[in-house]
Amino acid sequence: MLTIENLEVSVEGKPILKGLSLTVEAGRVHAIMGPNGSGKSTLAHVLAGREGYEVTGGSVRFGEEDLLAMEPEERAQAGLFLAMQYPVEIPGVANMYFLRQAINAIRKARGQDEIPAAEFMRKVREQAKLLGIGEELLKRDLNAGFSGGEKKRNEILQMAMLEPRLCILDETDSGLDIDALRTVADGVNRLRSPERAFLVITHYQRLLDYIVPDVVHVMADGRIRRSGGPELARELEERGYEGLLGTRLAA
Amino acid sequence: MLAIKRTRRLDPDPAFAATFRALAPRLPGSADAALARVRAEGFERFAALGIPTRRDEAWKFTDVARIANRPMRPAAPVELPLERVLPYLLGGPRARRLVFVDGRLQPQWSHTGGLPEGVIVESLARAAETRPVALAEALAGLDDGRSFTALNAAFADSGAWIELPAGVVLDAPLQLLFVATGGEPPVMSHPRCILRLGDGASLSLLETHVGLGEGAALGNAVLQLALGPGARLEHDRLELLGPASALLAKLDGSLAAGARYRQTTVVLGGALVRNEHEVRIDGPGVECLLSGVAVPSRGEEADTFVRIHHRAGGSHSDQFFKSVVEAGGHNAFAGKIIVHKGAQKTNAYQKNDNLLLSDDSEVDTKPELEIYADDVKCSHGATCGELDAAALFYLRARGIGAETARALLIHAFAAEVIGRLGDPTARALAEQRLLARLGGGLDPALAASVIGEAA
Repeated sequence: MLTIENLEVSVEGKPILKGLSLTVEAGRVHAIMGPNGSGKSTLAHVLAGREGYEVTGGSVRFGEEDLLAMEPEERAQAGLFLAMQYPVEIPGVANMYFLRQAINAIRKARGQDEIPAAEFMRKVREQAKLLGIGEELLKRDLNAGFSGGEKKRNEILQMAMLEPRLCILDETDSGLDIDALRTVADGVNRLRSPERAFLVITHYQRLLDYIVPDVVHVMADGRIRRSGGPELARELEERGYEGLLGTRLAA
Repeated sequence: MLAIKRTRRLDPDPAFAATFRALAPRLPGSADAALARVRAEGFERFAALGIPTRRDEAWKFTDVARIANRPMRPAAPVELPLERVLPYLLGGPRARRLVFVDGRLQPQWSHTGGLPEGVIVESLARAAETRPVALAEALAGLDDGRSFTALNAAFADSGAWIELPAGVVLDAPLQLLFVATGGEPPVMSHPRCILRLGDGASLSLLETHVGLGEGAALGNAVLQLALGPGARLEHDRLELLGPASALLAKLDGSLAAGARYRQTTVVLGGALVRNEHEVRIDGPGVECLLSGVAVPSRGEEADTFVRIHHRAGGSHSDQFFKSVVEAGGHNAFAGKIIVHKGAQKTNAYQKNDNLLLSDDSEVDTKPELEIYADDVKCSHGATCGELDAAALFYLRARGIGAETARALLIHAFAAEVIGRLGDPTARALAEQRLLARLGGGLDPALAASVIGEAA
């Protein structure tokens, strides 16, 4: 589904990703772990199409398409979703209005009719309930004044509503207490399906106790340094990045 | 153009004098000697004051002479089909209204029936017949050293006399709708409104200035407000002008102890729209909230000028003005809070936030405080910025196209002021016009339905 080959990315002339290769298949959950400064969030942003990153080499294919040639909205319309580490507060844009705009924009791009109002409401209420998001939060402006946990739940709500085929979670566990972490992880696990792939980016092994990955990658200095099964995450927890990789890390 | 830059005032175009001579015998109240004299004095004053240039500190940011100092014709009767005016009839089925087209009352669309005893709502032409002396006094009573106010006194052709006696609360809104059809030479109209609320009286006023079509027109409006003790006025203003039309609106207000005045002005369209406010707070316990948003683009200019005088202590004033400026638009804001000597315990705030969306657009802002008391809370501030790139990316990352994402964010910025319009029909019209202006395919009905269902 996602094929990254030798991806090189710079920010303001400074190389961050230095030849990263990764293949993610439908139905699989890949975790990317790495210390601060290893380039994890850069990878997430580049995949979603955020400005300010210069791709200096390599390629990314999403299905049959050249992902890097697409606008951010085209990537979303093609089924890519990034749950952000720091969801933006947008006062003046109602949460529900935004969600419906997003769903309809994606449906329109796929040649589908707009979602009927009743179906939208039923679905959003159902998903919100599962994620412990109250009606009051749905009525508020997008992320405006939300707590850290509420913002992350709202990201997963959007993910559930937009039904992407590739979900990228960028440090979704950061700033969550254990109950919120469990709720968010349950939300993600409910979305696991043979057609859908996940790329879970995290600093800590903790999240992977709840979202159990099929493959774990360890990233450092802009590259994938080790790949393995879920046991790699536990090994990392015991030995630390430096112990596992056998090098001193600059960051 | 050099002459305009060097002198503070220009001589009015000779066409003004010729038009005044020809028109004076036919203006409302011309048969009354006192009124005729006030009008003639108004014209002399106008001629003496001249047309301000940008060398005049009060007109520093916009060149009014370019638009106002040229031959114009007075209004002539126009017949408009109802459907041209229908979208602008606001306030719901119970609203009362006076409708003017090119400075003339349209009785077929106006109605003021069923008012409580003692309430006066009359067109200016009617007031010139029923109360010529009082009208003459009112016209003569406002000399603010402003040439357009004097010009308005000379030509006042439309507008209204509105009085609510003490204690009267009108539960349905009153709309004053001024429609201008454009042409060449431009049509000028000079609405004068006099509004007096007795002790504890309460009114919701919808003032709407509309330009139809692409032709040029000039509206030169003056509104004199006097709110008695404890009176309340909710004042929604929509200024929706054509690309060649201009509006110069002056508001002069006096607020007595405990009065509450809330005004929200939305400017969507107009070659030059200038809103001047001079409000005097004359007692404690007054609340004066002035808000506005303007969205000038493609050579349009919006200019807001505010003077709030705290002449008594213990009152609260708040100015909150925004603009969205793009594609060669220009917004100017100059606001001043003057806290007079002895006006202790005054709370006065002023904020001007601008979104500047293109390199060829311009924003001028000049917030000022003048404080002659030592126990007050006052603040002012101005910002000018672009759309938040992180917010734009967030929306696009959810599949929303760039143009729609941009429109959503601009709408969110402006909606903070539009949401302050007290009347739901005024709010809906402002929303609809704003969204049409922004493009991006946003549908106000969708927003309403989603919010409605969620509620």
